[in-house]
Amino acid sequence: MFESPYSFENLDVGQNPAWLNWFLSLPLVIQIAVVSILISTCFILYIQYRIWYIRFKNYIYNKRVKYIVPILDDLITEQIVLKSNASQNQFGEPAFNIPNQIRAEFRSRKYRQIIIDRIIKYQADFTGTIGTEMRNLYMELGLDKVSFRKMKSRKWEKKIRGIRELTNMDILIADVNILPLTNNKRQELRSEARNAYIKLSKNEPFKFFDVTTEPLLKWDQIELFKTITTTENIAIPNFARWVTYSNNKSVVAFCMELIVYYKQYDAAPAVVKLLENKDHLLRAQAINCLGKLKYEQAAPQLVHIYSNQPLNCRLEILKALGRMGNKENVTFLKQEFMYSTDFDIRKNAAKSIVRNSNKQQIDLLMESCTPENQLILKHNLNPLIKY
Amino acid sequence: MRNILVIDDDEIIQNVLDKVLTKEGFHIELAGNGKEGLSQIEKMAYDLVITDLMMPYANGFEIISRLKKHPNTANAAIIVISSITNEDSIMDGFKLGIDEYVRKPIIIGELVMRIKKLLSPRT
Repeated sequence: MFESPYSFENLDVGQNPAWLNWFLSLPLVIQIAVVSILISTCFILYIQYRIWYIRFKNYIYNKRVKYIVPILDDLITEQIVLKSNASQNQFGEPAFNIPNQIRAEFRSRKYRQIIIDRIIKYQADFTGTIGTEMRNLYMELGLDKVSFRKMKSRKWEKKIRGIRELTNMDILIADVNILPLTNNKRQELRSEARNAYIKLSKNEPFKFFDVTTEPLLKWDQIELFKTITTTENIAIPNFARWVTYSNNKSVVAFCMELIVYYKQYDAAPAVVKLLENKDHLLRAQAINCLGKLKYEQAAPQLVHIYSNQPLNCRLEILKALGRMGNKENVTFLKQEFMYSTDFDIRKNAAKSIVRNSNKQQIDLLMESCTPENQLILKHNLNPLIKY
Repeated sequence: MRNILVIDDDEIIQNVLDKVLTKEGFHIELAGNGKEGLSQIEKMAYDLVITDLMMPYANGFEIISRLKKHPNTANAAIIVISSITNEDSIMDGFKLGIDEYVRKPIIIGELVMRIKKLLSPRT
């Protein structure tokens, strides 16, 4: 019979160290228990070491903050806050009067991250002269180079930190460095790079829409929307360009949101073309967009395609017809309200009818419809009801 | 000398307002949160209170309504400094009796002018 050469019976117990002989002589259960205890002890020691290490790091960090922050605060107070013309010196001369020793400390590895964080905090709290001078100070201390170096790091979280610092300080990043990151596999990095690109690119802030192949997630869209609508002096293009040519569905959907927000009526014909798109979600959003733009020219086409559409598109068509405010559509809406068997269709048709009819017309309709439809109509007459 | 109370948990804002307003000739008291701010008003009367809206212990709205009821601050002008952009919150602040709403990031020169205007004797 085959016997394993590693089984305990085959070990020459006499040649082993004494502790191993003792261990091997123990029952198996005890051996397992001893090994488990050893592993647990090592794990606990490691955790304890990590805790001490983190505490020590925090202690050192706090000590450095306590030392350097008051020096920086005093410098900012004296040379920026209380003196508005700090940088109006001769060209080539340092704009801030910082003693060489302190300048070296600000630039040192030990303190530069603390300095960057503090300057960014000032920049977030103050704009105008103080904000501009903070940017000048950041540049003069060469901290932009530190942030650029972070962007070249292999770690994605360090790259994000670098991008965020440069964006906060309004430092231009070359397209060649930032554009590839807008399409990075890492979602967090991608999102940060896109936001930065919009904020920093003065001429074509939406250029990354051309190159992005990764989808814009819903959260990304919210973030981008906030960045686009709150960034000052941003050049807003005609978003019809991406609605027509982009192969990225999420970019097309997002552009339609922007078309509605910026009321780009010129983009409506491009959106109409999406009514023939195979993706029903995109079609539904196109219909929604046309409704919000009140693009009446699309109404006949919406009525025409209605019967071939899935439920979500039908509901959007009913809403869009209501938003367009065209009285001619009321007949179609009434027909859907009276004869449809689907509750949601009747509800949305009723809402659109209420939007486009006077009290007399609604009273007439109320008389001629079923008790359930009367309830739906009454529900929609409440101005607080919105959907 | 006019007394100003600054209630803000942001030490940078505290520090800058302290330096700038002291230079402009005002007497400044600082409080790091709502609770500290409310204990400060027990000690002396103020002509102006500058407060943030989002702070630990007591939020800005609570502080404003307490300031308006307290004899030491009932007649004081109130300036809110906040990054809140919600229109309803700003309107709520004005309903409670604030005099100015300054949005972060602050333009310090503009804030000083507003303070001077609020504290100048009305003819």
